[in-house]
Amino acid sequence: MKQCRRIWTILREFLSLLLVLHCTHGAGSPLPITPVNATCATRHPCHSNLMNQIRNQLAQLNGSANALFILYYTAQGEPFPNNLDKLCGPNVTDFPPFHANGTEKSRLVELYRIIAYLGPSLGNITRDQKVLNPNALSLHSKLNATADIMRGLLSNVLCRLCNKYHVAHVDVAYGPDTSGKDVFQKKKLGCQLLGKYKQVIAVVAQAF
Amino acid sequence: MFVLRGVQRHLRFAQRPDLNEKFYKMSGKPEPMAVFSVFQTTFLLALLSLRMYQSQVFSEPLPLAPKSLEISIDSTHQRLHLQWRVHNLAYHRELKMVFQIEISRIKTSNVIWVENYSTTVKWNQVLRWSWESQLPLECTQHFVRMRSGAADAQIPEPRFWGDWTSWEEVAVQSSLGHHPLSVFPKDKLVEEGSNVTVCYVSRSHHNNISCYLEGIQIHGEQLDPNVCVFHLNNVPFIRDTGTNMYCKMDPGGVIKGIVLFVSKVFEEPKDFSCETRDLKTLSCTWDPGKDTGLLTQLSPSYTLFESFSGKKVICTHKSWCDWQAAPDSQEMYNFTLTAGNDLRKRSVHLLFNLTHRVHPMAPFNVLFKNVSPTNAAMTWRVHSIGNYSTLLCQVELYGEGKVIQKQNVSVVANGELLVRNLEPYTEYVAQVRCAHASHFWRWSEWTRDNFTTAEAAPSEAPDVWREVKSVQGHRVVTLFWKPLSKLQAKGKILFYNVVLENLDGPSTMKLLSIPAPANCTELALDHHSYQIHVTANNSVGTSPAAVITLSRDPGNKDVEEARVKGTKDGFSLSWKPQPRDVTGYIVEWCEHPRDPRCDLQWKSLGPNTTSTVVSSDAFRPGVRYNFRIYGISTERIPYLLEKKTGYSQELAPSDSPQVHIGNLTASSFTLSWKGWPAEPQPGFLRGYSLYLKSKAVQCLPGSEKAVLPDGSVCCKYKIDNPKQKTFVVQNLQPASFYEFFLTPYTSAGEGPLGTFTKVTTQDEYSRILIRILVPMILCILLLTILCYLKSQWMKEKCYPDIPDPYKSSVLSLIKSKENPRLTIMNVKDCVPDAIEVINKREGARKSLIETEPTKPTYLHLLPTEKSYPGPGPCICFENFTYNQAASESCGPVPGPPKEQPSQLGLLTSSENVLKALGKTYVNSLGEIPAGETNLNYVSQLASPLCGDKSSLPTNPPEPALCSEYKMQMAIPMGLASPPSITPLDEGAAAHSPCPPRSSGSRCAAHGEQFAQVQSERGRAGRWTLHPGWNFQCQ
Repeated sequence: MKQCRRIWTILREFLSLLLVLHCTHGAGSPLPITPVNATCATRHPCHSNLMNQIRNQLAQLNGSANALFILYYTAQGEPFPNNLDKLCGPNVTDFPPFHANGTEKSRLVELYRIIAYLGPSLGNITRDQKVLNPNALSLHSKLNATADIMRGLLSNVLCRLCNKYHVAHVDVAYGPDTSGKDVFQKKKLGCQLLGKYKQVIAVVAQAF
Repeated sequence: MFVLRGVQRHLRFAQRPDLNEKFYKMSGKPEPMAVFSVFQTTFLLALLSLRMYQSQVFSEPLPLAPKSLEISIDSTHQRLHLQWRVHNLAYHRELKMVFQIEISRIKTSNVIWVENYSTTVKWNQVLRWSWESQLPLECTQHFVRMRSGAADAQIPEPRFWGDWTSWEEVAVQSSLGHHPLSVFPKDKLVEEGSNVTVCYVSRSHHNNISCYLEGIQIHGEQLDPNVCVFHLNNVPFIRDTGTNMYCKMDPGGVIKGIVLFVSKVFEEPKDFSCETRDLKTLSCTWDPGKDTGLLTQLSPSYTLFESFSGKKVICTHKSWCDWQAAPDSQEMYNFTLTAGNDLRKRSVHLLFNLTHRVHPMAPFNVLFKNVSPTNAAMTWRVHSIGNYSTLLCQVELYGEGKVIQKQNVSVVANGELLVRNLEPYTEYVAQVRCAHASHFWRWSEWTRDNFTTAEAAPSEAPDVWREVKSVQGHRVVTLFWKPLSKLQAKGKILFYNVVLENLDGPSTMKLLSIPAPANCTELALDHHSYQIHVTANNSVGTSPAAVITLSRDPGNKDVEEARVKGTKDGFSLSWKPQPRDVTGYIVEWCEHPRDPRCDLQWKSLGPNTTSTVVSSDAFRPGVRYNFRIYGISTERIPYLLEKKTGYSQELAPSDSPQVHIGNLTASSFTLSWKGWPAEPQPGFLRGYSLYLKSKAVQCLPGSEKAVLPDGSVCCKYKIDNPKQKTFVVQNLQPASFYEFFLTPYTSAGEGPLGTFTKVTTQDEYSRILIRILVPMILCILLLTILCYLKSQWMKEKCYPDIPDPYKSSVLSLIKSKENPRLTIMNVKDCVPDAIEVINKREGARKSLIETEPTKPTYLHLLPTEKSYPGPGPCICFENFTYNQAASESCGPVPGPPKEQPSQLGLLTSSENVLKALGKTYVNSLGEIPAGETNLNYVSQLASPLCGDKSSLPTNPPEPALCSEYKMQMAIPMGLASPPSITPLDEGAAAHSPCPPRSSGSRCAAHGEQFAQVQSERGRAGRWTLHPGWNFQCQ
């Protein structure tokens, strides 16, 4: 009996250790930890052909990313158009990663994080550009259009994650807030982000 | 004094703990020293109190050093803010002090700024002072220190500075992090024209750093090995989004930059003004001036400050602001408008009395009462301004868009004005505005309303005219009248009354009422005299009557039409004054003469007028207008005086007449045309211009050279008589080519050049030739017709089918040449030299093709080829028409058979014929029935010496000419040709209408051989080639 109790204690401690380890890993990682049977409800029913919609939205974003990038760095004036590698290189350190060879679920989760990262960043860029380049209406329009598509894409990805994979929550990270930066830095950060976005969206669109 | 200085030293010593510490360290025995020090200090403090008391008494300077110096940095504005206190100042005591502040850059010894700041210092007061650095504070370290001194007048000279505070270092660089390169200042806002200092700070001075502004490299001065400073002087406004300035570091390619915002100069508000509409609210307005271009970064603010009340209002609009006045308590106002942004502040001032800035509100409730045809009473109300304020109101009356009356009225609350001298039934617009009567500042806005005066009876008779036409024995009179002008009508014309009075018959009146706005009526009248009265009627009354009389006599007499020249202003018409009494004149014309409706117009003129100018917007260039001038007798009977016709502007003809050419000779031609042009003419025709083109360089008399629009030169004839319809162009060259074009011209010019008509003058000899050739041709034609009609007779006479040699004309010719020896050759005289015997083999029909052709056998009657090496002396013809008897004495003389193919080939004109012949020949040979006999007639064409056997040439050098027929003979079939010859195919037949009378000679001439064989069917004259026969022409 004592032996059994000892075994049970060891087993319990082992399980506790495993649980602790798992929790430790999950706490530092943005991976979803929603249990499989957790309630996951969307406000509206998802579209039947959701993946196609996601692909189309990605294709739409991929199609307009380069034009947006060009429009942006042109509007900033010199030295941006002639020093793209130095000022607009995709050196965004905290940009969420994407693994094209992962499972659909992991790809969707990573896509969710990317879009969640990009959405506010685009909002910052749009806000800054409305002050810095009030007459660049074409750029504003394109930024707004991109942000609109991203909102739809985010909703669709969430729907997919929730319906198929029962993922109700994904930890996300956001880009740096540019409100306290100087104007040149704002321009540069925006350019870097759009350069990164152009690069990433091509890979993501290809992966789906 | 010595004691005082000692106290001061002690004070300084006490205030400097570092010295105290040194002192303690140096002493080495703290306890006895401390006791001594405490004692000494207590003593000295007692002395100090005594001294301070004495200083108040004796007014000696007191060193009060600044303490607690704190320095804060405003990087955006590149300012250092200093704050400090002055200790040891007595409670509730104020002291005027001077603080000397020193600022050093990079190192303390490099002092860049020294300033004395004077202020009154209170007890425990925090003193503040700031300093703006031209160089961004991040570029390098700055050091600050200060000292104080008394500046109070109570303290006698000399005054002494206190000790300097220690250097305070302002090192912003340390907070920059570890970026390899930084550029400052960030987001600098400056006005255009100002100077800006920019620097970069690098962590390593080994790097090569280049900086650019607007893409252009700029060069600066090295402040220290890691800092470079750029002085940008007089910076211009470039764009509202700022200017990028950046520095690039090599190697590494790090780019750091800043954005420099340059605004336009913030302007001072213009036209600052305040006014009140009700003495309660002041409304201040101003012109903010030009935009700075950086509204996002530099939003201006406007503040209104009133100095008497000390109130301040922050304006929410950039060009106006409201202020609540206090009329009961404050009459004078002194406003300061302060406009500013981050870079500049501007102020304007305004001092005024409130009652002098009254701008009344617009009057209201404008009404018109008791409106008669000529008067109206106008009333209005004004907004009250304070108590018992009198307003001055201005009333303007507009009629037909013009100011016709202007009056000023003083008003307290209600205004009233009687407007006089108005026109009946006229619409007027009245407007009123007011201003403060005592202190005029500004008129209120206008308030306007309109009214219409009442109607009155028409004042003038309508202007009446008539048009009389005679239709089927009756007079149809169209009565026209012009609508009365507004002034004349004095109301709305409702109808026109037309009264007809028969002047010849019993006094009868007929009334016609024609409703307005009709302006004419048609009356069918007999030939009596009538007087017509026309009146216009409105709702109030009737106009005076217009009277016109239609006399029995139509009065149309022949009046010659005169031309009148029109201008842009119209037609100036004049006429002779009439000896008899006239009551006036009427000028009548059609405004649209080309229109069947004509649109009759007239102009009534007084009796003393003998000229007028008729003008109308309807007059068009190129349209002819006809004017008739009537005089009006005292009996109101119109009679025609003159006729005028003319154009307001003549135009050049638009087309040209059609010209016909007549009497074309070698030297002239006549042109005729039917006049130009058909109505309507665009101007009075003055004549014609004839353009003549020719090869001749010189123009003929009567013409002159002219250059056409295409550059070509021609001769121009001027035909000045417009009635001329023909023109003779003379003195032309025979057989020469000319081109002409005729165009009419008016005073405005010639018609357009069209296509030139081409004409060629005749040859001089052609007429003579025609005189000869025409009769000849006629004769030939006659003869030909005769020949045709008598062709049978002619044939019999001239060329019968069977010519009778005795009847031959040749014979007579020969006889005439007195050559009795030459007679018609008798057949008997013909001695055959050979007889061709054709062997006919029975049964050889089928193998005929395979075997050689049958060789005819020649019975040489005359010496053979050996004795006659040349060609035979005679040629024989077959002719079936000759009787058989003749053949008994004369046989055929066939040629050598071996030459048959070639002879056939020469005879036929086509290969088909030749083949057909050959085939026929072969078949015919094969199809000859046995025992059939035919006659072959051989005609011999003899040489001229044919009958003379003795004279036969033995070896004639040339072929003899055969010009006549010999006696022909029939050859029995046994000796002659194949027994039967099938008639040739039609296609292979060669037809000849006549016997080949001259073929012998032709053959001889050509030296060719051919045969003509007449078949049995060919008796009617058809000659058929026979392949089995040949004849020679040699």
